[in-house]
Amino acid sequence: MGGSISKAMGKMFGYREMKILMLGLDNAGKTTILYKLKLNKIKTTAPTVGFNVETVSYRNVKFNMWDVGGQDRLRPLWRHYFPATTALIFVIDSQDTGRLNEAKEELYSIIGEKEMEEVVLLVLANKQDLKGSLTPQEISDFLQLKDHLDNQLWCVIGSNALTGQGLVEGLSWITNNTHK
Amino acid sequence: MSQGIYLADAPVRRPQYGSNPLVRKIQRACRLSLQEPDLALNLDVADFVNAKQGAAPREAAIAIVKLVNSRDTHTAVFALALMDVLVKNCGYPFHLQISRKEFLNELVKRFPERPPVRFSKVQRLILTAIEEWYQTICKHAAYKEDLGYVRDMHRLLKYKGYVFPKIREEDLSVLRPTDHLKTPSEIQKEQEIVQAAKLDELIRRGKPEDLKEANKLMKVMAGFKADNALQSKQLLRDELTKLKRKADLFNDMLSTSESPDLNNDTLIELYSALKSSQPKFQKIIEEDQDDDGLVQELLSFNDTVNQLIQKYTLLKTGQSGQAAELHVSSVSSPGATSGTLADELNLIDFGDEPQSSPSPAPIAGTSNTMDDLLGDLNDLSFSQPAPSFGLGGSISLGPSMATSSVSPAPVTSNTSSSGNLDLLAEFSDLKPSQTQSYNAQNDLLGNFSSKKPENQTTDGIKRIEVSASNNLKIEFEITRQSSTSIRVTSIFSNIGNAPISNLTFMLAAPRTMTLRLEPQSGSTLSVGAIDGVRQTGWIDTSNSTSDKPLKVKWKVSYSFGTSSTEESSVFVFPKI
Repeated sequence: MGGSISKAMGKMFGYREMKILMLGLDNAGKTTILYKLKLNKIKTTAPTVGFNVETVSYRNVKFNMWDVGGQDRLRPLWRHYFPATTALIFVIDSQDTGRLNEAKEELYSIIGEKEMEEVVLLVLANKQDLKGSLTPQEISDFLQLKDHLDNQLWCVIGSNALTGQGLVEGLSWITNNTHK
Repeated sequence: MSQGIYLADAPVRRPQYGSNPLVRKIQRACRLSLQEPDLALNLDVADFVNAKQGAAPREAAIAIVKLVNSRDTHTAVFALALMDVLVKNCGYPFHLQISRKEFLNELVKRFPERPPVRFSKVQRLILTAIEEWYQTICKHAAYKEDLGYVRDMHRLLKYKGYVFPKIREEDLSVLRPTDHLKTPSEIQKEQEIVQAAKLDELIRRGKPEDLKEANKLMKVMAGFKADNALQSKQLLRDELTKLKRKADLFNDMLSTSESPDLNNDTLIELYSALKSSQPKFQKIIEEDQDDDGLVQELLSFNDTVNQLIQKYTLLKTGQSGQAAELHVSSVSSPGATSGTLADELNLIDFGDEPQSSPSPAPIAGTSNTMDDLLGDLNDLSFSQPAPSFGLGGSISLGPSMATSSVSPAPVTSNTSSSGNLDLLAEFSDLKPSQTQSYNAQNDLLGNFSSKKPENQTTDGIKRIEVSASNNLKIEFEITRQSSTSIRVTSIFSNIGNAPISNLTFMLAAPRTMTLRLEPQSGSTLSVGAIDGVRQTGWIDTSNSTSDKPLKVKWKVSYSFGTSSTEESSVFVFPKI
């Protein structure tokens, strides 16, 4: 009941609410991104065991952002967070070239799931400030999203969680590319 | 992604209510054209839900309750039948869904504030379902605290004046927990399903307290807490303790009277509980090999169960005398486990399929105790131990156990005529059994074996060919030692064109006789080896004057070249 009222209100005032799932390998910077967006502060975080949820409002969209830990033991549990997701933010550590392939495999196994078919995909090439990090273009080439995703919207954006660079752009891309 | 009318890659089909295959299946199971609830279709839905997990139980519950509330009684009845099948077959994930407040409220949506004078069929079925859940899963399930809303709804309806129908005991028993023994991996798998369903539900609810719990649960699921493994171990131990109590009770019931009532329900139930748990022992042992304590415990317990089952079988076939001789010690009390080696040997004996043992050691001898058990010669069969051993065979010792326990002691002959346990106690201290059995022989043979030196026979004794296949010739040298004792030397020759190895020879005599065998002189025969292997044995009969010719059953197994072969037959002794 309450849900439908707020939905109606949302339509009237242009509010929307969406669930955003933020995944990626461990130490990619998911939790840092979450708290940078939420609090505009750099929180030194310990590896996430479990998950964090925060709501972030941007323009007139309320994002429910789910940040789920990326350690390998937690990855099998990611699927529990898939239902009702509007957008997936996949965070990649651009400097960690050794694990890019692992990240790619994880990404493809996520978007291969039935529940994630209709999700818009934002890849954040994080840690752009670090020396030797790959550019968003290089990451994009490596992931070969162009070849594999034909009916899914996707985008690779470079980001730096410490300065906040790229994060708002990412959210705004998501807002513009999800309907209604 | 585009809206409107367009041709997609998929073939054009009549639009269906749900694009969701689950909803379609549910609708098919509840369609009006069916005469009665179709169990096959319902089970198909259950299988689908079990296979999919995730959101499937929830979707199924929502779709079903919608159909229950449809105006059409027929559909509602079908939907309730389907719901019943899912509750009984889909376990916790579905139980969690039917205990959601929203679901229960939907389920009783058509119930008036005051109970009607007469319930409609659908109402009666709904009340039955709730009562059934209340009586079973709300009381017995391991996770009953998650099902609180079912209890609440039950109470609420009762306050409102609704009367619940009485449920038949058989219907209730389906949903009661089965206390079957489960292997740790099975327990863990079950736990994983439960936890996954719970996590899904908590995330879906998304209230702060739910999320807090979800976070905790996630830590457990990811194995950051050792709870899981420990918990499953604990569960296993609990089950085992329960089973042991059952075994004791079973034993008591069998032992108290000369002729216990074998058709007693409790007795039969205990019997089947014990019997069905046996195959699990082996699995558990395989999984938990490093836990020595547990493995030993299981082995000795399995042994006891074997004896109990054997006793039961004997009683059933009317051999109460022999059954009474079997004394089974109680298991659940500590200290009942005797020396471990004795247990193992005991187990091997009862498993009683020497040829399947991995040990190349010459295994000979069919104990007379076994003869007792196996009954007459005609029933004797090596490859098929008596039925009561069937399950014992399945536990044929996990690979790690077998080699360690069998190989060190070439068990020569099971001499004594006393009960099995006594006999094994002799071996329990792992002396090379050679000496022991010789002692025993001397004891048994008394004077005459010492009078006659053992090597005396070969001169001028006729050889009788027992069998000659393409590869192996078996001959017997038979001498009468005394009026009651016959000495048989089996002699093996390789008449084939490939070496023979792993030669194992076994003899079985009728149960009126006692058979003792010495170890074989070897187990390999090179090409052309004549009289390469010998084995001496004694057959003691109680009455020498029997007119019936003496018959023995023999069996030989060996590897020939790359293949293994078995030969067996019955040999009739000539008059000596």
